Amino acid sequence: MNKNLTRRKFLQSASLAAAAVPLSRVAPAQASFVAGEFGAPGSFSETKTVTGGICEMCFWRCQVVGKTRDNRLVKLEGNPKSVDNGKSICARGNAGIQLLYDPDRLKYPLKNVGKRGAPKWKRISWDEALDETAAQLTKIQKKYGPHAVAMFPHGASSVYPQQFLQYTGTPNVSAASFYQCRGVRDMAYMTTFGFSPGEKVDMANAKAILLLGSHLGENVHVSHLKQYLKGLENGAKLIVVDPRFSAAAAKADVWVKIKPGTDTAFLMAIMKHLLDKGIYDKKFVEDNCTGLAEFKEGLAHSSLDWAAKICDLPAEQIKEVAEIIGKNAPNVSIHPGRHTTWHGNDFQRLRAQACLTAILGAYAVPGGLIRHKSMKLGKAPWAKGVFAEDCDLATFWPFKPPGTPTDAIRETSITSKPYPIKAWVAWGQNPIQTIPNQERTIKSLQNMDFVLVTDIMPTDITMYADILLPEASYLERYDYIKKGTQWNPADEQVQYVSARMPLVEPMFERKDSVWITNELAKRMGYGDNIPVQSVEELVDKRLAKANLSIKALRELDGIYLQKGKSPYVTDPAKRKFEFDTDSGMIELSSEIIADNDFSPVPTFIPVEEVPKGFARLVYGRSAVHTFNRSQNNVWLHHEMPENPFWINDDNARAMGLKDGDRIALENQDGVRSRNTTIIKVTPGIRKDTVYLAHGFGSMNPALSVGHGKGIDDQALITKMVIDPETGATGMRNNFVRIIKDGKAISFPA
Amino acid sequence: MKQYGMVIDLEKCIGCHACAIACKAEWEVPADQGRNWLKRLGPAHTPHGLASTYYPGLCNHCDKPACVEACPADLEEKTFKDPVSGKKKTMEVAATWKDPFDGTVQIDKDRCLGCGACADACPYEARYVNPELGEDGKADKCTFCVERRAAGLEPACVQTCLAGARIFGDLNDPKSPVAKYVKKGAIKMESAAVKIGPNVRYFGNKRDIHLLTETSTPRVMPEASLRRVMIARMVRPVIREVKKKLSIFDMS
Repeated sequence: MNKNLTRRKFLQSASLAAAAVPLSRVAPAQASFVAGEFGAPGSFSETKTVTGGICEMCFWRCQVVGKTRDNRLVKLEGNPKSVDNGKSICARGNAGIQLLYDPDRLKYPLKNVGKRGAPKWKRISWDEALDETAAQLTKIQKKYGPHAVAMFPHGASSVYPQQFLQYTGTPNVSAASFYQCRGVRDMAYMTTFGFSPGEKVDMANAKAILLLGSHLGENVHVSHLKQYLKGLENGAKLIVVDPRFSAAAAKADVWVKIKPGTDTAFLMAIMKHLLDKGIYDKKFVEDNCTGLAEFKEGLAHSSLDWAAKICDLPAEQIKEVAEIIGKNAPNVSIHPGRHTTWHGNDFQRLRAQACLTAILGAYAVPGGLIRHKSMKLGKAPWAKGVFAEDCDLATFWPFKPPGTPTDAIRETSITSKPYPIKAWVAWGQNPIQTIPNQERTIKSLQNMDFVLVTDIMPTDITMYADILLPEASYLERYDYIKKGTQWNPADEQVQYVSARMPLVEPMFERKDSVWITNELAKRMGYGDNIPVQSVEELVDKRLAKANLSIKALRELDGIYLQKGKSPYVTDPAKRKFEFDTDSGMIELSSEIIADNDFSPVPTFIPVEEVPKGFARLVYGRSAVHTFNRSQNNVWLHHEMPENPFWINDDNARAMGLKDGDRIALENQDGVRSRNTTIIKVTPGIRKDTVYLAHGFGSMNPALSVGHGKGIDDQALITKMVIDPETGATGMRNNFVRIIKDGKAISFPA
Repeated sequence: MKQYGMVIDLEKCIGCHACAIACKAEWEVPADQGRNWLKRLGPAHTPHGLASTYYPGLCNHCDKPACVEACPADLEEKTFKDPVSGKKKTMEVAATWKDPFDGTVQIDKDRCLGCGACADACPYEARYVNPELGEDGKADKCTFCVERRAAGLEPACVQTCLAGARIFGDLNDPKSPVAKYVKKGAIKMESAAVKIGPNVRYFGNKRDIHLLTETSTPRVMPEASLRRVMIARMVRPVIREVKKKLSIFDMS
């Protein structure tokens, strides 16, 4: 038998040697390898390089090129011309082709002939889908007013349809990227500095970096991580404030194992210490800040000991952090964070971060908060919507980010007070997993006259659609224009513009959002108001402001570069700035906040204590997944198929749990996780805190890979605390205990 | 003679897994397999403090590769050429070998039997059998992207690494960045029982290196390996005889 096998293989290889081998597969003479019949040819072999790709596996949006063979995308790589991500992309970026060719993707317009939540799908034509959607939305708008349509957008493609619906008269748009993510940060910095900070702290050139909860490394945005790593390489002191020994804490000089929800007290004590000791930029504060006296007064009680007790930290450590920051000022990155809707006391914390930045003078200097000027582009085309005066659901929240707070829309959807909301439109967002309390979300959905969902993949929300529309993915469409500056602010100054271009043609009946929206607009009686006839026209119109076009960009390998401006103003004579606030200065104490009956000086609002037998559930990102969006990607799923439940090792021992045990969870309201996951026993988390990566446990069986894998943290977040200033959703106020073999196991006191 | 190797700088690595996925795309690796991989380690106590790091692993292109020894495919003469000096060397090799000029371990998939002996033999579990190739599958592993390098490109994992944490080069060239890392203390993942000269090195602080080596260094040579090697050694002369006879048969 051995002989036969050998003979067969022997003859096989002999005949192969005789067969014609394509030229590109012939190895150069000096190479020792044999690129034969059975080896993959490699992405560089017999492929075409298509430029102009902009990634949207996450929302950092790196510049990519595609390698295509026979019109099939075989690999994605960073665009070598990029001054942002360069030739690098992350795991998710690399795995984009598995999204593109995912067999579970939405292919055709579908009509739900079953029930919401238990759908039966019937394939219908685009005409039928558009006719029915337009008829339903028109009927609802006529009967209840335009504001009876609510929209939940996410991603570049959702901007145009969102603007259209606003144009028809609904203010009820709620972006998860604001209300469950960064909106509260933007508003806090707006009231302090007069602009939203993005994540534009110059970590690459910092002498010290302070991260509050930001778990860089688990949160992967390529150019941002390049900046962070450059800073560390240059010797920046890294301070990481996190109840968990995160990927960032593992690289930190100081890990501040803070009690969740108390960060504002920590920051206040640091600021008081710096002010008391005179370790702050007096000249900068005098020239650029207002309200110092009130600010000092507001912090009068915030001693190191006071904060130490609240934060469950040694006072010495708070002092150490203050002194590291003070010593390295102004070249300090006080990171503004990204996902910042934690506890419903977040506006005050983010105000504190902004004020700390200000008193250190850490603005427009290497390492500080910077505004790096990029090129101007034309605006998106739909005219602004005009809303009826009495339809604003957000009057309680004076500092709300754009749109309407999600919870206000959802409650109105259930109660019809003050007016009915009767249609939900989800476009690229999965509100089941973005908004706490899934029962309320599902109740709202069941209360609708009509639900439209447009997406690339099935998600939990698509199960609740009446009409489900398939969109072209970021690799198959034009839409987003990425602009910015070179990743390291200290390098040669460069500005760039790059417009997303399709790397391959869309398959099946997938369409871009401009086409879908225009077809709906025509059918809803807005045909004459359509601002652009195609997505190409939209992109060209916006590019025209920069004297660019799709054609010009294509000839430039997808990226236009020009000389930029330094974001630094280091000449002491020029460090008096104009800010876009009421006072024109940085507002340490804010009159407008006081006028709205909130504390004008950052103040600590305590959060609910952990009930006996439970631990606080915190959640975060994973390096290989973007929330729920990537769960069905076979490559990413292989890297992280479920989300291990982090539990303190002492607790695990006392509870009789071992690393790898399979468990479910139950929260304070008796809500149990639909699925199970494994336990990760570690000393790297506080005893009162447990952790899950967000986005797992999809309930949609149409996801053949990701369905039911891991625990959906959002399912356990039934209680939320709405941030009183902004209406943003605080989600880390939920507590869980463990269910193993059907029995509840409580946490030790 | 060169000895290509790779250094992974754990001070820089942020554990993003891009290396593992770029490799998958480049070499059409099945979804549930990997030529390289990344495992998250910790957080765990070490004598040097709490640590959390990563094990980005790949074929070590060992000095004494157990996989090469284990290959039962019939031996064939193969002439290697040093691209620098033009020197040639002819060796008898099975379907996998260690290149005498650049030190990489390579596979001839046309001649691979798909038996998996090499995969069983590797204490680092760096090889797998790709069942999608050929009738019985073919062994596959990291080649240090020899084909990409021949085309003037970097290894796929090196190119995509945003951290610059993967450094490829000739360990025998004292001026190369990899050799400099070795001088700075980049370690091999070796144990008393597994000493086959791995050429992937890891650089990092004490606590991370402690966690890496404690959790991930292989402690035993795979048993299957020894058995397979013995069988291979016994079978090879027989195969050679059979082959001779076959070629006589084919000629007549």
